[in-house]
Amino acid sequence: MKMMKQASGSWLLETKGLTKKLGGKAVVRDVDLRIGEGDIYGFLGPNGAGKTTTIRMLLGLAKPTRGGVTVFGKSLAANRMEILRHVGSLVEYPSYYGHLTGTENLEVIRRLLDVPKERIAEALSIVRLEKDAGRAVKGYSLGMKQRLGIAAALLGNPRLLILDEPTNGLDPAGIQEMRELIKSLPGQRGVTILLSSHLLSEVELMATKVGIIRSGSLIYQDSIASLKARTAGRIRFSVSEPEDAWKRLLELGFEAERDQSRLTVGGAADRTVASIVAELVRRGHSVYRVEEERSSLESVFLEMTGTGGSL
Amino acid sequence: MIGRMLSVELLKIRRKLLWMLAALGPVGVIGLQAVNYGLRYDYLMKLYGDSPWEGLLQQVGSLMLPALFIGLALVASMSAGIEHQAGAWKQLLALPVTRLQVFGGKVMLSLLLLLASCTLLLLLTLGMGLLLGFDPQVPWAEIVRQSYLPYLAALPFIALQSWLSIVMANQALPLTVGTLGMVLSMFSLLMPAWMPWGWPDRAVRSADALQAAGSGLALGVLVLLIGYAHFARKDVS
Repeated sequence: MKMMKQASGSWLLETKGLTKKLGGKAVVRDVDLRIGEGDIYGFLGPNGAGKTTTIRMLLGLAKPTRGGVTVFGKSLAANRMEILRHVGSLVEYPSYYGHLTGTENLEVIRRLLDVPKERIAEALSIVRLEKDAGRAVKGYSLGMKQRLGIAAALLGNPRLLILDEPTNGLDPAGIQEMRELIKSLPGQRGVTILLSSHLLSEVELMATKVGIIRSGSLIYQDSIASLKARTAGRIRFSVSEPEDAWKRLLELGFEAERDQSRLTVGGAADRTVASIVAELVRRGHSVYRVEEERSSLESVFLEMTGTGGSL
Repeated sequence: MIGRMLSVELLKIRRKLLWMLAALGPVGVIGLQAVNYGLRYDYLMKLYGDSPWEGLLQQVGSLMLPALFIGLALVASMSAGIEHQAGAWKQLLALPVTRLQVFGGKVMLSLLLLLASCTLLLLLTLGMGLLLGFDPQVPWAEIVRQSYLPYLAALPFIALQSWLSIVMANQALPLTVGTLGMVLSMFSLLMPAWMPWGWPDRAVRSADALQAAGSGLALGVLVLLIGYAHFARKDVS
């Protein structure tokens, strides 16, 4: 596992050897999470890999069998109350009192957090629920309940936001909206976010750093950029007379592969791509498409997690 | 902090009919007694001769105990059920509050609602006696004692039901335990003094009412401590 260069102790959230056994079986095993200030950390893994169990331990909802959690440089076990004051969370599905209005739901949490009343209006406006705040929550759509959950998580002005599958069950418009909301938070409010998902495509669009968990073990943890670098972007060319073009590229020393009318070149830098295109045009080929093969990022994940389709 | 927890609990039961449930018990008990006195007024008045207040208290007491037993199970179940229904335990316990505050808030809500029930019963009994034209020399000590001593004697059951209802998402078992408790309490006269199911009844009618209430208070605190210790160690799903 590669590690980012950052001195130990300077992480906003760090776990060491975090392990949880349920009925003798380790559902989370020796997980060392490292989340830096301002990160949007994508916590990825197939369903049942241990994401939610890990998150429960980060919030003190479940006790680790072994190992510990350090948040803001302090041990969670010894400073639970102080740490949780600066952590907002939404675990699995939103919690809401259906018979209460949106505002009343937030008031319950506000009284427990003991923050000023104005925070309710602010949180409602961040998730754009002001208009529906006076209605009973049981009449809300799932997307609205999810937004109310985010508002509840933001109420205490947290430094760390832990969101477990925040787009689960939302329709495409809801997912898009949630994504924009999450992406806007670190910039506007200096929040660090831990975000779990079983979908790579989901996290890829938001995260700056990813951790991948499989069968309870963290099998990858690094910046999203390094993960993308590992895929060594393959460039695909669709051209006329592909046979000729392919031979020419091989002559010139490019490691091109041919598949019917398409040629692919691995690990090509911008300049290489430009010179290949120039050469092909000079030789009279029509260049129909030049595309980066994005599926290879998925395939790196599939290799890592050993699952098909979704993580 | 205690005040804040209670204020949160009271906010959460808005529009939840819990207050109505708390009122239903005493209103039902006195309603039935109104029918009882309406039908056999002469017989009852002759039966209790020159101590009609004592007679009324005895009649009310016999109905109040089953109502108290089932009522405390329902109140505990409904107040914990609000969190189960909302899936809110994980949200609540991820906030900067201790498990003791959360557990205590729930227990306090049940205690408060049941205390309101007992107080309402006291007022209704008083009103009924005066309406029936009993001696305006009200036996205050007896009325107050009968209204609140069974409440103290029932504390172990309030504690048990709160504990069960909080730690179990499915309320079938807690409610079954509560119902069985009510049935068992009806045989209190056949019970040895050490059985807690007989204590509320002993707190109503026996000479050692104070002792029954005191035992209830002590055992209740013990059950609360055990319940809290369990809740504090439990992983929240």
